[in-house]
Amino acid sequence: MKVVVSRSGGFAGIRTTWEVQVDEQPDRSSWAELLDALPWDEVSETAPQPDRYVYRIRCAPHEVVLGEQQVCGPWQKLIDRVRGVNDEL
Amino acid sequence: MRDIPIRDLRAAAHPSPAHPGARGAAEPVRGRLDRAVSDAGGLERLPGRLVRREGQPPGADPAVTEAWEGLGYTHSLFWNMFERDSIDDQGLTLEATVHYGRNYDNAFWDGERMVFGDGDGQVFNRFTSSLTVIGHELTHGVTQFTANLAYEGQSGAINESLSDVFGSLVEQHSRGQSAAEAGWLIGEGLFTDQVQGVALRSLKAPGTAYNDDVLGKDPQPAHLSGYIETEDDNGGVHLNSGIPNRAFYLVATALGGNAWDTAGRIWFDTLTSGTLPRTVDFAGFARATSRAAVTRYGAGSREHDAVIAGWSAVGLGGGLGAGSVARSGIPPVRPSVSGRAVVDPGSHPE
Repeated sequence: MKVVVSRSGGFAGIRTTWEVQVDEQPDRSSWAELLDALPWDEVSETAPQPDRYVYRIRCAPHEVVLGEQQVCGPWQKLIDRVRGVNDEL
Repeated sequence: MRDIPIRDLRAAAHPSPAHPGARGAAEPVRGRLDRAVSDAGGLERLPGRLVRREGQPPGADPAVTEAWEGLGYTHSLFWNMFERDSIDDQGLTLEATVHYGRNYDNAFWDGERMVFGDGDGQVFNRFTSSLTVIGHELTHGVTQFTANLAYEGQSGAINESLSDVFGSLVEQHSRGQSAAEAGWLIGEGLFTDQVQGVALRSLKAPGTAYNDDVLGKDPQPAHLSGYIETEDDNGGVHLNSGIPNRAFYLVATALGGNAWDTAGRIWFDTLTSGTLPRTVDFAGFARATSRAAVTRYGAGSREHDAVIAGWSAVGLGGGLGAGSVARSGIPPVRPSVSGRAVVDPGSHPE
């Protein structure tokens, strides 16, 4: 199982992508819990704000697009965790 | 010439005592500069702690000073060149927050204020360091209060382009640079020395601002043929803005002189015409600039011709009415008299 976080937009308009192979993580059960608990089907559309980031988060079969201003709670936790794994590489 | 913007700035900060319309008075003084800068202290909470208001002396924090001065220079362009009194034309306080987040590589407009990160020091320096960024963010405010262009797809790319255009004009105006002298870069100096690039974007040559081992190459197209269809970035608003950006650069340099005097005036007239549809596409925006040029300078004027040539060079010249009614000798209709265009060789209602 793979989680992909893609961040686009921002003032610079530069896209950055971070990936994690969950099955290869030492704490994969904790990853699975976090992913299962995400409100994948409860994301509502929101008006974009100029120059804010846009996050696309994919973990088959799920995919959501979040404005930066919508990133909080479990979504923030997931993004921080995915970035954290990539920073260690 | 070079000291004029600074003189304008002083005049706006210290309005004449002959107009005592200070806060609380019945008749507010138009064009009075009112700024407020707050410090988020590394948190992602707004507005942060208020650290400078109008009348207070500068402090030691360079980010606060840069934001403060940038707000002033932006106000100066819009008030002294276009007689627009702040972003809402009603003297709204210009508000900024600096030191947003930790290592935050971005600046944005949240609908009420400009917000600036400090950058991570690896790729980006602090975002207040380029005046074009400050002018860009405040222009999002002007757009919000006028055409309120939908921030996605082509109208979003036009929204972005308008912010780049006026962001660049703020810098040119503050430096007293003509169109020929200007660098036409957005975010010059934002990249650290570790990045191979001069800026984030170039209006003169979209797609050439950076070419870096890690970041890749500046992806902006300079012509409609390179339009990028994508679901990222609200439909590529920061990518496809290169197309209208280059059109403006071509118009401004063809006309020569100071870009804010003529090309900037046409684009400002277009933005504030009250007739620009919220979801206008590139072709509709090109027609609207052509109409604005006709309204102010006349059909077949060199200004009108330059607008048509500029859009034609980026693949958007179709339907602009070059050579037909444009040559008919119909005189210009000044907006101060009519308030709207009545002479329109490219009449294609959106």
